[in-house]
Amino acid sequence: MFWNNLKIALRNLRKNKLFAFINIAGLALGLAIYVFGGLLVNYERTHDLFFENAHRTYTIGSIAAADLDVGVDRMGSTFSAVGPIVEAEVSDVELVARTISREMLITMGAESFYQQLRFADPELLQIFDFDYLHGDASALNDPSGILVTESTAMKYFGNTDVLGKVITMDNEFEFYISAVVRDIPQNSHFNSLFIMESDLEILAPIQALGRIRDYDMAGEWDNLSLGNMTYVMLPETLGQQWLQAQIDGIYERQVPEDKKEVIAGLFVKPLAEANLAIWDMLGLPVISVVSLLSLLVLLVACVNYTNLATAQSLGRSREVGMRKTMGAERGQLLTQFLVESLTITAIAMLVAIAMLELVIPLFNSSTGKVLTLDYLSTLPWLLATTIVVGLVAGAYPAWLITRASPIDALRDVARKGRKGSRVRAFMIGAQFTISAFMLSLVTVVFMQNEKVKESSYIFPRSEVYILGRMSPDEISGRLDTLRHELEALPNVDHVGYSSQVPYEQNNTQIDITMTPGDEAGKFRIHYLAMTPEFLDAYDIPVLAGRNLSRDVSNDERSDESEVVNVLVNELALEKMGITSPQDAVNQRFYDLDEENSLREMVIVGVVPTQNITGLFNTEKPWVYMYRAKHLRTGSVRITGGNMMDTIAAIEDTWDRVIPEYPIQGRFLDEVFDEVYNILKLLNGALAGFAGVALALALIGLFGLAAFMAAQRTREIGIRKVLGANSLQVARLLVWQFSKPVLWALVIALPLAYIASKTYLDFFAERIDAQVVILLASGLVAVLLAWGTVAGHAIRISRASPILALRYE
Amino acid sequence: MLKMHDLYKVYRTDEVETVALNGINFEVDQGEFVAVMGPSGCGKSTLLNIVGMIDGLTRGDYWFFDENVAGYSEKHLSAIRKQNIGFIFQSFNLIDELTVAENIELALLYHKMPSSQRKKQVLDVMDRMGVAHRAKHRPGQLSGGQQQRVAVARAVVGNQPLILADEPTGNLDSVHGQEVMELLRSLNDEGTTIVMVTHSPSHADYAHRTVNLFDGHIVTENLRAA
Repeated sequence: MFWNNLKIALRNLRKNKLFAFINIAGLALGLAIYVFGGLLVNYERTHDLFFENAHRTYTIGSIAAADLDVGVDRMGSTFSAVGPIVEAEVSDVELVARTISREMLITMGAESFYQQLRFADPELLQIFDFDYLHGDASALNDPSGILVTESTAMKYFGNTDVLGKVITMDNEFEFYISAVVRDIPQNSHFNSLFIMESDLEILAPIQALGRIRDYDMAGEWDNLSLGNMTYVMLPETLGQQWLQAQIDGIYERQVPEDKKEVIAGLFVKPLAEANLAIWDMLGLPVISVVSLLSLLVLLVACVNYTNLATAQSLGRSREVGMRKTMGAERGQLLTQFLVESLTITAIAMLVAIAMLELVIPLFNSSTGKVLTLDYLSTLPWLLATTIVVGLVAGAYPAWLITRASPIDALRDVARKGRKGSRVRAFMIGAQFTISAFMLSLVTVVFMQNEKVKESSYIFPRSEVYILGRMSPDEISGRLDTLRHELEALPNVDHVGYSSQVPYEQNNTQIDITMTPGDEAGKFRIHYLAMTPEFLDAYDIPVLAGRNLSRDVSNDERSDESEVVNVLVNELALEKMGITSPQDAVNQRFYDLDEENSLREMVIVGVVPTQNITGLFNTEKPWVYMYRAKHLRTGSVRITGGNMMDTIAAIEDTWDRVIPEYPIQGRFLDEVFDEVYNILKLLNGALAGFAGVALALALIGLFGLAAFMAAQRTREIGIRKVLGANSLQVARLLVWQFSKPVLWALVIALPLAYIASKTYLDFFAERIDAQVVILLASGLVAVLLAWGTVAGHAIRISRASPILALRYE
Repeated sequence: MLKMHDLYKVYRTDEVETVALNGINFEVDQGEFVAVMGPSGCGKSTLLNIVGMIDGLTRGDYWFFDENVAGYSEKHLSAIRKQNIGFIFQSFNLIDELTVAENIELALLYHKMPSSQRKKQVLDVMDRMGVAHRAKHRPGQLSGGQQQRVAVARAVVGNQPLILADEPTGNLDSVHGQEVMELLRSLNDEGTTIVMVTHSPSHADYAHRTVNLFDGHIVTENLRAA
């Protein structure tokens, strides 16, 4: 019986090639997306599991205080002072280790390069069982020892037998290689490019940081950089909840009160999820959204199948009648139809797997991930998916077609009547609800991203060449020389130095008061250190007063004077209660920060409010101060000329002035793209899902329209004989499908409104036309649906009436 | 073999009530060949469908082999049907996707029967009906007469004691019609009971008895002269 059912299933596919193709292609696409989404989510949620202690290792992260206003929710990192406290206070934990990320100029072999390094407690090597080629887990016990990966050793020394080789940091401090480990697999948080700029290549002991940068081993309460991780390994008997309770206690008792204004709490996360820190940080539930969207796409594909199969099964009513007449029981017929749908689903699953085998390598090479479709471990899931989809998608048509009594089935009552047409309309509606929802959501996200890009053009993004990593003393002593030399180059207009450049997500703030010592009246204001040329480099006008100058005393902050002249932006004036830029000039305020020594700031100029950190951030009050000590980056404004030649000239100049350090140049565009690309990635992924869902819905509608047009051929013939013209007939068919699509919009658009608002809330500056965009996307969905149906409608409405009547 | 008493079949829609069979009393003995005649819409096919238990009755009694099947569930009826009744339709009702042999085998598929025995019975009946050389063809590749032979083969392959034929010659030319009638007669000669709906008086002559229906009533019953 089973083989018989299978044979019938395959023959039916062959007989209706168009429907078979639409069914299998649609289902395969849905399954491919679903399986891919599942693999991706599983991949992202199961990082680092190859470490033996992964299941009992946790990371401690920080919850950003609500009024911190830096655009992040949760950070996977925490202050480095937390680790030693956990170790001292919670005796039941087995091991605690920290990593501190710092950028260093490394000299290894013949090459010098900048690299973000992880400085780690020696216990890190007890928690993570790296695969040692040379040396062992005691590698970081020696404050001068460092651990490198196999490919790092190969890259700089040409072999891995490099124990004892010397590495120099910051041209001064010497270390020797004490261990070489195999490269860490890509699915480790150590290699997450969202956490650190590069894969884990070098580990150095934290003690070394004490030597190089005077670092206090007890840790600090200042830095929440993503690479500053705290790992806790628990005994097998204890778990996440227990650790969270201990950590909550530590937050209450040990975190200094002023730091509680920065972080509202500490949270514990399993190591397997450490790589998801970026999404926690942005507060966007990306992983859950991927799961949901892939499931929705599969649902659209299932509904597609159900709808087409239902329409198609009506044509098989007589077969069912005949089988019933010959004694088939309903159960047997249900089995027959379900075997058919399982067969189709199984074929679709094979097609989907073939698609994934092609897509996954492309995805891996473009994202640096190592997603695999491991048949051994995924087989039960793939089988279960096939069976569930086959049964769910096939259940309704099977139920509907086998429901009729033998005589009704023989008389084809179902086809002649309108049985199931309401359910079909409902299913079209459901499909379009999902796809219109996604389409309108993706449009809002796209427009918002465009707005972010648009408003970023207030700064000349493509004309400013950024020079990074300028804080070492050897460089900062030569900044003026460098500026003079660069400004002498043709096409270089201005060279300004500053503590940060636009779009960099730094949020250094200072506490100020309007009267000296007024503790109650203090408020926070963002702080930018700069040289006077910074304003010229970015075309920032002065609205009142004057720019800072190298020639006026107190314009540059020095440790000798307690007074410093500053610029503020208009928003800062608002906060200070000053009404106009003109009134602000010569007003004073006071800095409370530095070791309680009061410093007086005199406003000498006012600049417009500009969104320095840009992207999703709000505009903020800023104070601009000329302070040499804090200058980290240079901004070289280039206008006209051949860009490549100018860059080459800038590089030559740098090499001449600062030969010991390599130049670190990039355009401001790239700084912007660093964060913007994440938004673009999100939008791209969302657009992918929406595109597939909409395509599936349209394919389904196309198939269904073809089928229903055929079903109504006789009716159309009669209408034409009675005088209906082609337009009227076409309208009739189009309207049949318009109702569910319009209903779908009524449901989808409000849902899309809510979902897109969640995304927009992430941004400080939002698009105004959210509702208009949603409505327009809805209209596009309807037009596409009409376009899909119209082809059939017009073809059939033009046919001669007698052809239509002969059909029966 | 079967007996109907005061049997009614009423079709109801929201506004209209159509009485298709109006107090029918009808009996068929084992081994009989009965023709049912009457104008279009008189209830012939309805009567046949109820006899064949593929349509339900509204009121009345229906004894099939001394068992009153009125009110039986579809599951119960289908079990009786597959053991006892074979059907032949005017429009053949063959399944296009299946070959001739598979169409015939379909009638045995729902019996609990080993595959080898099914195949043997199918081969036998195809030989008897003269369609063995077409075993692997699809219905669409056969003439109308051949298709109806396949339908007859399908009706008798399970050795059911009762064959119900609803205008079996209606879609055939006179030569092929004649052939099918000869087939039915030989089946009847072998002991199969046949109830046949027909419009053709000459084909009705093959039957032992003709029942004439008009507006849901049996108006006359004629016995054929021996």
